[in-house]
Amino acid sequence: MATSSLLRLDGLTKQYPGVTALDDLTIDVPRGLVGLVGANGAGKTTMFRLLLGISKPTHGRIEVCGIDVGVDPIGVRSRLGYMPEHDCLPLDQTAADVVSTFGELSGLPARAARQRASDILDLVGLDEARFRPISGFSTGMRQRTKLAQALVGDPELVLLDEPTAGLDPLGREEMLRLVARLGTFGISVLMATHLLDDVQQVCDHVVMIDAGRLVVSGGTESLLERTGILTVDVGPRGDELVAHLAQLGVAAVAAEGLVEVTVEGDQQMDVVRDAIADLALPLYRLTTRLTSLDEVFLRLAGSPA
Amino acid sequence: MSALTGDPGAGAVYDRGYRPYDGPRGRRGAATFALYKASIRRALGLRRSWRQKFAPFVLLGVVTIPAIVNVGIGYVTRDRLADKLEIITYRDYVGVSSALLLFVALVAPDVMCPDRRQRVLPLMFARPLTGIDYVVAKVGAITSILFAFSFLPQVVLFLGNMLVSDSASEYFTGHLDVLWKVPLSVLVLSVYYAVVGVAIAALTNRRIVAGAAVIGLLLITSIASGVLVGDFRPGHGSVAALINVWTLPLYLRDVVFLGNISRESPLGGVANGGLYALALYLVVLFVGAGTLLYRYRWVER
Repeated sequence: MATSSLLRLDGLTKQYPGVTALDDLTIDVPRGLVGLVGANGAGKTTMFRLLLGISKPTHGRIEVCGIDVGVDPIGVRSRLGYMPEHDCLPLDQTAADVVSTFGELSGLPARAARQRASDILDLVGLDEARFRPISGFSTGMRQRTKLAQALVGDPELVLLDEPTAGLDPLGREEMLRLVARLGTFGISVLMATHLLDDVQQVCDHVVMIDAGRLVVSGGTESLLERTGILTVDVGPRGDELVAHLAQLGVAAVAAEGLVEVTVEGDQQMDVVRDAIADLALPLYRLTTRLTSLDEVFLRLAGSPA
Repeated sequence: MSALTGDPGAGAVYDRGYRPYDGPRGRRGAATFALYKASIRRALGLRRSWRQKFAPFVLLGVVTIPAIVNVGIGYVTRDRLADKLEIITYRDYVGVSSALLLFVALVAPDVMCPDRRQRVLPLMFARPLTGIDYVVAKVGAITSILFAFSFLPQVVLFLGNMLVSDSASEYFTGHLDVLWKVPLSVLVLSVYYAVVGVAIAALTNRRIVAGAAVIGLLLITSIASGVLVGDFRPGHGSVAALINVWTLPLYLRDVVFLGNISRESPLGGVANGGLYALALYLVVLFVGAGTLLYRYRWVER
């Protein structure tokens, strides 16, 4: 039975000798396309190992698709697909054989696995190449084969570890389009990456971690709105507005003839409006600049969630 | 299903989209069996190039030749000799199958090492599969092939001897003990060679190193055993014969067929030799299985 939560982490901590890989993570992530963002070494791969139940947490509890990983790791793995970042394909076999074998390993009967392997390879654009050995595949084709083996078992959730790693711009766009399509098939995605552009392009929920700690977890749209910057064009008297806003406790900077005001909520937008009126400044333009997730991450990393 | 191109004259390309799977789905047992089948396919070179098929099937041919020769001679001399000429006995033929350890040196590394070297294991253990399941599937696959390659020539020998005998029914009833002694001794041999070969192959990522290690182990222990036992008269063997990993299961074969260790063997005449052989056999299996389970303990790696 499908539950509304994709992931529930409750005080999740993973410690290795001398290193705390994950530190007291408590989050509730809804189903859909979710980005797991963090710098290299932030704890993304450790989290995947914990979600798959092939590593045990030091403290805390993990629930994936409504199943407690500590209680039934096999049950969880039956519902997951996993695409690692590193090379992991048997190079001397054909894509059809590899994907079909992994379908059987996911519990599908042999005939169903072969049929699904054919369908999934078609879906990821490898229908013509499926009887060729993987050793002759390009990086993009290998990434798509890795995605195919993750999908062949018809998972509820697919864990993608840096799916665009090593791809050229065209290959990256194709991979992101494929990932985005998974959402329309009812498959949830947890995509670990340090490329925030990828997440912003595809995911509707973001979990940011830094050095094993939760930075923020929320909808992509809401994160961008919450940390929005107001761009104000008041002509050459921008400095006056910056000084006046500073007196009112609102951070603003003049840049390239414009004033950029950091606002948090509608109340501060009213303050900006009143400041312009108080100074009798001409208002040529007032827009909310959508920030990138990079800016959100840089701003929030280091501060508590 | 949606048509991406709609010109009827030019045909249409269909995007079949994604079809969820709602059929039956197995768990650990199904995954283990799937890995077992995949390992057998790999070991026999099925769905691979002819070069990969060459070694296993040539070896099957080689170990079957003595049976065919024995049956052929039996057929040719069936009306000339009062007593049937028996070039090779069923017990001897189990010894011929010990040549399959060379096959193990070739195949066990091929079944084990690429999974580690090409880092396929994370994909496998992201499935409903545990380290124990993995070991069971791999050892089971090699054991099954060894059993089949050892047992099939025995079947050829038995059926052939039965057909060229004066009375097939008399031959059958006269050799009923063979029907359990052969499978049992062949199983003892197959499990042993499979565990030894797979355990050694699990210690390295490189096939060539694993193969050389298996061959090296059997050569070194054979030579050491030969030096320690030296020349011996029948019935005056030495317990040092046990250190030969190649021939250890053949002493158990003797126990199965003869009820004791053959006097002709290097262990012949050693008091409680059969018990020593059984104990060492179990120790080797225990150490091999322990090594494998340690290498594939995928929790807390």
